[in-house]
Amino acid sequence: MKLGLYNQLVRMGASRRDVLKGAASMAAVAAASSAGLGALTGEASAQDNVRAEILKIPGVGKGSPTDADWQKVGELCLGATKANVKEGEFAGVELTFMGLNNQNLHNFLFRGFLKPWEAYTGAKINWIDLAQADYNARLQQSIATGTVDFDILQMGAPFEGDTAGRGLLDEMPDWVATQIEADDLVNYLKAPVGTWDGKTYRITIDGDCHTFAYRKDYFGDGSISGMADVPKHWEDFPALATALAGKNDPITGTPAFGFLDPLKYQWGGFGFYFLGDRASAYAKHPEDAAWLFDPDTMKPRVNNPAWVQAIQDVFDLVKANAYPPDQLNADPNATAFSQFLGGTGAALCWWGDVGSNARTSDTSVVGDVVGFSINPGAKRVYNAKTSAWEEKENFAPNMAYIGWGVYVTSRVSADEKKRKAAWSAAAHLGGKDLSLWTAAYPSGFQPYRNSHFQYAEWEAAGYDRAFVEDYLGSNLDSYNHPNAAIEPRIPGIFQYYSIAEDELVKGVNGQYPSAQATADAIAAAWEKITDQIGRESQIKLYKASLGM
Amino acid sequence: MSEQATAIAQNMSLGAALDTIAPGRRRLGRIIMMLATAGLAIVALIQILYAAGAIGFGFSTWRPLLYAYILWGVALGVGQVMTRGEEGHRALFLLPAVLFTVAMVVFPTLFGFYIATLDWNLSGTPKFNGLDNFWQMLRDPFYSNALLNMVFYVLAVFVEYVIAFGLALLLNAQIRARKFFRVVFLLPLMLSPVAVSWMIGKSLMEYRFGPAATLARKLGWDNPAFFATPWTAKISIMLLDAWTFIPFLMIMLLAGLQAMPRDILEAAKVDGATAWQTFWGVTFPLMLPVSVTALILRIIFKLKLADIVITVTSGGPGGATDTVTSFIFREYRDRSNVGYGTMLAMVYLIIIIVFVTLLLKLANRFVRNVT
Amino acid sequence: MTAEAIEHTPSEVRSPAAFFASRVFIYGALIFWAFVCLFPIYWTITTSFKTAPNVTQGHLIPFVDFTPDWRGWRSLGLSPDTIGSTSTVRDEFLKRFFNSVITSIGASALAIVIGSLAAYGLTRFRYKFMWMKNEDISFFFLSQLILPPVVLALPFLALYKGLHLLDTRIGLILLYTLMVLPIVIWIMRDQFNSIPVELEEAALVDGLSVWGAFFQIVLPIALPGMVAAFILSMVLCWNEYFFAALLTSTNANTIPVMVASQTGSQGINWWSMAALSTAAIAPLAIIGVLLERYLIKGMTAGAVK
Repeated sequence: MKLGLYNQLVRMGASRRDVLKGAASMAAVAAASSAGLGALTGEASAQDNVRAEILKIPGVGKGSPTDADWQKVGELCLGATKANVKEGEFAGVELTFMGLNNQNLHNFLFRGFLKPWEAYTGAKINWIDLAQADYNARLQQSIATGTVDFDILQMGAPFEGDTAGRGLLDEMPDWVATQIEADDLVNYLKAPVGTWDGKTYRITIDGDCHTFAYRKDYFGDGSISGMADVPKHWEDFPALATALAGKNDPITGTPAFGFLDPLKYQWGGFGFYFLGDRASAYAKHPEDAAWLFDPDTMKPRVNNPAWVQAIQDVFDLVKANAYPPDQLNADPNATAFSQFLGGTGAALCWWGDVGSNARTSDTSVVGDVVGFSINPGAKRVYNAKTSAWEEKENFAPNMAYIGWGVYVTSRVSADEKKRKAAWSAAAHLGGKDLSLWTAAYPSGFQPYRNSHFQYAEWEAAGYDRAFVEDYLGSNLDSYNHPNAAIEPRIPGIFQYYSIAEDELVKGVNGQYPSAQATADAIAAAWEKITDQIGRESQIKLYKASLGM
Repeated sequence: MSEQATAIAQNMSLGAALDTIAPGRRRLGRIIMMLATAGLAIVALIQILYAAGAIGFGFSTWRPLLYAYILWGVALGVGQVMTRGEEGHRALFLLPAVLFTVAMVVFPTLFGFYIATLDWNLSGTPKFNGLDNFWQMLRDPFYSNALLNMVFYVLAVFVEYVIAFGLALLLNAQIRARKFFRVVFLLPLMLSPVAVSWMIGKSLMEYRFGPAATLARKLGWDNPAFFATPWTAKISIMLLDAWTFIPFLMIMLLAGLQAMPRDILEAAKVDGATAWQTFWGVTFPLMLPVSVTALILRIIFKLKLADIVITVTSGGPGGATDTVTSFIFREYRDRSNVGYGTMLAMVYLIIIIVFVTLLLKLANRFVRNVT
Repeated sequence: MTAEAIEHTPSEVRSPAAFFASRVFIYGALIFWAFVCLFPIYWTITTSFKTAPNVTQGHLIPFVDFTPDWRGWRSLGLSPDTIGSTSTVRDEFLKRFFNSVITSIGASALAIVIGSLAAYGLTRFRYKFMWMKNEDISFFFLSQLILPPVVLALPFLALYKGLHLLDTRIGLILLYTLMVLPIVIWIMRDQFNSIPVELEEAALVDGLSVWGAFFQIVLPIALPGMVAAFILSMVLCWNEYFFAALLTSTNANTIPVMVASQTGSQGINWWSMAALSTAAIAPLAIIGVLLERYLIKGMTAGAVK
């Protein structure tokens, strides 16, 4: 995340250097200077603490952070480690770290952060890098074939059922919780998330949720939609699509479309969240933590009237040709980064990345006209306990993926030295100060601590306060929402998702006669997985994951 | 172990006399082979018993078995030469490839057939369920859909063949810069399907900024969404795949053209045949054998088409571009439904083995009849 | 020029207009197809020098449409300004690059060795093993080519785990050898078939053994075929993605897996993906340019019988 926000500032820096080259770049500077150029040019305030110090590495507008910068940040944030570990204490220890290589971030960042840690402690770390779409498959294969060959694991909370539920993880020692100041986490990332059977396993390094981004210039007097304001309920989105039919986008002049659903849901499980955005509003009842399965029987709720309504909403829009012509085979990525940011649609739901890129990315044309809020709600909500609709407004932001964390596997449990080394490395990555840097610079991670929402720090680092407050605010509101829809962390959850993606795509393309039939196909497949994994244990784990 | 290749050299072409082998040497050879076999069996037995928990000693991995197998293979080769002399020498040519392939294939295939009979989701514990996966397969409309798609994909090979033949003729014509064109035409074959999928399928053919879409708009196609409707998507995938593999057909055909005896063509020319007549009367029939070889190899590659589909469309829209392999891949990777996926793959394997066997037989007969 | 052009028929030669038309057609077609082949490669290479707006606006020509930028290469640590400093991304890239080189060359070489031997045996001697004769043995090898890799995914994972071959280059080499062996045998069989048996018979009369005749007489003649088989094997191994992703993790991973990881929830880094793709394409393209003539020559041998 924040890649785009950051890049914008980088570009501004570059523009300043290129000023002499011509009037065009001069104009670019003039246009950009409203976004906090003053803060860039001014000397950074001489705060003497680490937080201000690391925010100056490499310094906003000084070029993309490089390996050297990551190492410098790692070095400066080593204080907490030094308090708990003696120099050279882990000499001779070798650890394997499995994580992602997303766009050469994630693991590559960790390599840099951990280099000073390795130098100080004497331990050595080997790396396994995975592509995001391969992640679930690889993890499952490792578990199933007994080839867990890693000691430290970067993993999303949804996989806790697969790993912690099978005793593959090592319980977090108390000193680690103290070192990382776990109390600082935003509410929804506290227990039961990160815990299993009452034990804590997770060092959070990221917070995730879907928020709603929309085009302010599509609404209001004289706007192309003719609507006064952006719809707040899913029921009103078909009208938006109708209103926009045949209209052109005010910025690009290309055809305008309503809400953008990525109709090619297949993304190794990550695409199912987009249906979840719609469904949670109908299906997540405030008095019921469960919304995907019935917690007593594991019977899927995905074919109950609430979910069918969500699927039906999408199908209706497909039938009405309310999507761009290439939508049936556009990757979810394309929906966010080339459609919405490129000026083709009124709104979408996405992780924080769209928020940051919208204002500042080079590819974005919608920067000045984008607004944020929590996901839309519904005018009625389905109560699965009474099997009846209740006519009351319901909002339920989708905490899609709950964010990445760092875990330690039970491979090291027997060896106290190795265990301490592994946890020390993990704690270094989840440290409070280090996380401020990952939140502010391109890293792939989003803010997840209350301390990340001190907007003054962002402003001091050179970011535009109003904008940061708008988009981070929508994240904070979602994180702390009382009716946040949190996914179950049961074994195989990404198989449930992947299978649903596959069936959904068939439904969208008319392979099933109706939304109900599509939902039934998903439910049948889910029942089968549940039986394969074991219904009784799934029920138990489902309840545990919801803290019931 | 089956591959004690009792190669019978029948001196068909190489009429070398069989050398006589001293009984002592033969006996020694037998002993070497027997000792090696016994050694291999003992290592295997120990390891199996150890893995099963029956005995307390053994190796921590199966690697020693690999070494034992290699040693056994060497001993077998030595033994062949010692006991059978010249015939043994001849067997040595085939032995390494056979031993290697058997070692690499036997276990995975058998294990694969075993997995195919399991009800196994990677997150759960495997359960034996006999042929249930097979019956489920028969009822799976999306599997038969993928099979049907394969028919279309294979048919597309013939279009590729026509284009490749044309290109080969062009390259074989009296032209300047022949070497340049030959290298350039060959390049697409070198590219990785993953890179092709991303840089062409998802970038060059992108709806908004891709130059291919821009060109299509200029040519009058208003909404050039290359992968949005079933048939455009299918054709787009075929084009992408053809782009990478036409060079393969082309070089084989070009090689054939260059090897063609010149005197026949010149005779045709002297007889006053037109280009068209020469082509159909002389060139094409002469090219039949190489054409058949090229087509069969290409069809085999086509039957494995997957990378491009997986990356570009994930089989969509609605399974329209699914190949069997990409379908199985999703069953396997996205759903972790290992048992069912493996059953699908095994059935597919049998289908294509039968298909390719028939194809080879037909092709043989066809070539023999025509030429 | 060896082969007489088929287009040169008497009628055409008689009429200059028709001759001219056929020239125009031939060169038109050649240039058109050269464009079809080259444009995507051009697109890939130029994209590696683009920034985001250049990509999304479909700019085509460097210096005219857009100003080239090292961004894609910088993200790999391979641009002029980053080449001197430490970069874990570059280290990773280089490691994978060399893994790709070693595994594909190793597998191709191994396949050529055992494949040529087998192909020679199959063309010169008659084997019989149980019910299997030469054709059956050939088909046995060919059938390995048919095998869809996905069939063997989990079995190979289990096998390699047992043999401790997971995440080793030797493991990948063995697997890739299995994968390209059928192609090698196929090409080499044609190659050997085209060499007259009399050559070896003469050698045997001169007192050479079967192996002696093979190494001294047959092999030199069959060299172009071996180069052709080697190139095709290299191409297949270098580009293999499925098993590389499945069986490697830290030490033995190859380039194609890295290409696939240039996308995530932050969009697609077209520039670095293009840079990686370019780097992945370059070695094979160079091989293609250097050894292309062997490819044709090697495949010519068995082409027309």
